[in-house]
Amino acid sequence: MNIEKNIKLWSSLGMRATFGLIAMELSKKYPDLMITTSDVSTSAGLDRYKNKYPEKFVDVGIAEQNLIGISAGLSSEGFKVISTTFAPFQTLRCCEQIKVNLGYMKNKICMVGLASGLVLGNLGFTHCCIEDIGVLRSIPNISIVVPSDPLELFKVLSGAINYKDSVYIRLTAGSNTRIVNSKDYKFEIGKAIEILPGKDVAIIGCGNILGECLEAASILKEKKIQCSIVNMHTIKPIDKEKIKNIAKNNKLIVTVEEHNVIGGLGTSVAEVMSSDRNNCKLVRLGINDFYSSGGSYEYLKNIYGLSVEKIIQTVLSNL
Amino acid sequence: MKINSLKNFAKNMRKNIIFTAFKAGSKSAHIGGALSATDIIAVLYSGIMKIKKSKTIDNDRDRFILSKGHACLALYSALVEKKILKKKELETFEMDGSALLGHPIMNKLSGIEFSTGSLGMGLSLGVGVALAAKKKKKSYKTYVVLGDGECNEGSIWESILSASHFKLDNIVIIVDRNKFQQTGQNSSIMDLKNLKNKFKSFGCETTEIDGHNIEQIYKTLIDIKQNNKPKVIVANTIKGKGFKLFENNNNWHHSVISKSIYREILKEL
Amino acid sequence: MKNKKKYIEIFTKSLSIDTKKFNEKIKYNDVPEWDSIGHMTLMSELEDGFDISIDTDDIIEFSSFKKGIQILKKYKVD
Repeated sequence: MNIEKNIKLWSSLGMRATFGLIAMELSKKYPDLMITTSDVSTSAGLDRYKNKYPEKFVDVGIAEQNLIGISAGLSSEGFKVISTTFAPFQTLRCCEQIKVNLGYMKNKICMVGLASGLVLGNLGFTHCCIEDIGVLRSIPNISIVVPSDPLELFKVLSGAINYKDSVYIRLTAGSNTRIVNSKDYKFEIGKAIEILPGKDVAIIGCGNILGECLEAASILKEKKIQCSIVNMHTIKPIDKEKIKNIAKNNKLIVTVEEHNVIGGLGTSVAEVMSSDRNNCKLVRLGINDFYSSGGSYEYLKNIYGLSVEKIIQTVLSNL
Repeated sequence: MKINSLKNFAKNMRKNIIFTAFKAGSKSAHIGGALSATDIIAVLYSGIMKIKKSKTIDNDRDRFILSKGHACLALYSALVEKKILKKKELETFEMDGSALLGHPIMNKLSGIEFSTGSLGMGLSLGVGVALAAKKKKKSYKTYVVLGDGECNEGSIWESILSASHFKLDNIVIIVDRNKFQQTGQNSSIMDLKNLKNKFKSFGCETTEIDGHNIEQIYKTLIDIKQNNKPKVIVANTIKGKGFKLFENNNNWHHSVISKSIYREILKEL
Repeated sequence: MKNKKKYIEIFTKSLSIDTKKFNEKIKYNDVPEWDSIGHMTLMSELEDGFDISIDTDDIIEFSSFKKGIQILKKYKVD
């Protein structure tokens, strides 16, 4: 598979449709792959996969508790299972099943949460998800990875399918995602990546919102402020060394995520920083623990300070 | 004669159950619900399921899932009678760091398929396991024991819908219908009404039997036909069955067996 | 259309259609490969092949081979 040729196409398709294409590739490689869903094949880009590999596809209908139970049962019998539905239903509706089956019993499953964050804002907050990272972080034996763009999703899925623990893969943005990684690169679960070098200020982000961060950084560069940008795709296990290093070498860290500032990336960074003496201020950008009125993705990002302008303002006002 | 050996197995299970509960002392134990399920589990382990002690996991074994995990004393007792667990291990019940706790902890080599206890989850796992058998074209059967109170959980009905939809005729679900749940009778907490009809309407081949008639349990289980439907057996039972002091007395849902009570109930065996 | 040969080539390549069996009357969803994913692949290849950037509205309007010819004219592809 020619990675770089696919970057443009995958970005226009968005994470969900790319997931469908990646599933086709994974199925060729893993004969014991099983994809399970709760009546969301089309929304997950899985129609082609479903038609080509019906024996490797299980739709349990709109029943997320059963989705996890059946997936865990299949996993216990040796299948490599990827379950998927929209993020709030994938993580919250069946949270206890995730705790007991994946956390406690360690039946390994990759869970792909579709359209997490704010992208479905015009459907209201029942379909947005700003709580998933916070909730899952408190369950042992589950890793949490937030790919920044479809190319990273390909790398995450390829790594997650053989990873030792269950992995929750959080997809953000819709079609026409921003391209964060324009070239092929080395990826490892648990290892954050500096995608732009800088000094004094570090922006640590996860998910496609890193696209906004990159744009903000290039405007700040014109104002002679050189922020570094770090892609902290893995929230758990968090890259402690990287955070300690950044805190040692910067005056300001701004975390950026389409998630509640309570419980997500920002909180994870704060936890690591708090155990060291350092001279670094941490500002957490994200959803400030309230549900706003609904609207478009851009409208919501603006409300929660996640637009390019607001990221720039945050950096400037905290320097 | 086969039926006598099954009855004996059940009797020994009851001995083990009260022995273990007594040893647990003030930590107390779920007694009533284990005793109501004993005859069903006895027949499964001594007469029906393909299961035995082995050094490695036998992928062709029949799977048993105790979805009503709090009845684990019945499971542990059956595993002891089957010589998969040692009788000595029952003395570690509910002790610090023990492998035998008040709800089962997954250990497939010890015959414990999953860590159940949070009600409503075991059946879903069973559906996954039965589905795996179909996909791998394996002939093992999956047996799941549910509590009737457990059928309050919506997740049970999600599982039943799917078992029927996937035409899983390799799963047998037995409901221990002792008509009680934690704080009282089903009929006053959350009435299940006609449970047999409910399962039937969900597309299951359903029968209703006396859950303490060993012969009837055996004949029902041995006679199961393959016909694209999951099988449900609603077994009418008595909570605490086997000891007059415990029978239909919901105080023995989760309680302590004192020395004097132990002496008294031993006489009934 | 001057670029018809190239246009057909991009179509058959993106949608994995046998050149010998290609029919200019082809519409979206006529073949399994021209599903929503196939469509985006086709758009991407057309953009690369003709060095243009197609608007979202036109991507949605692009419902057949023939309609495509009209749309491409907007981007000075003839």
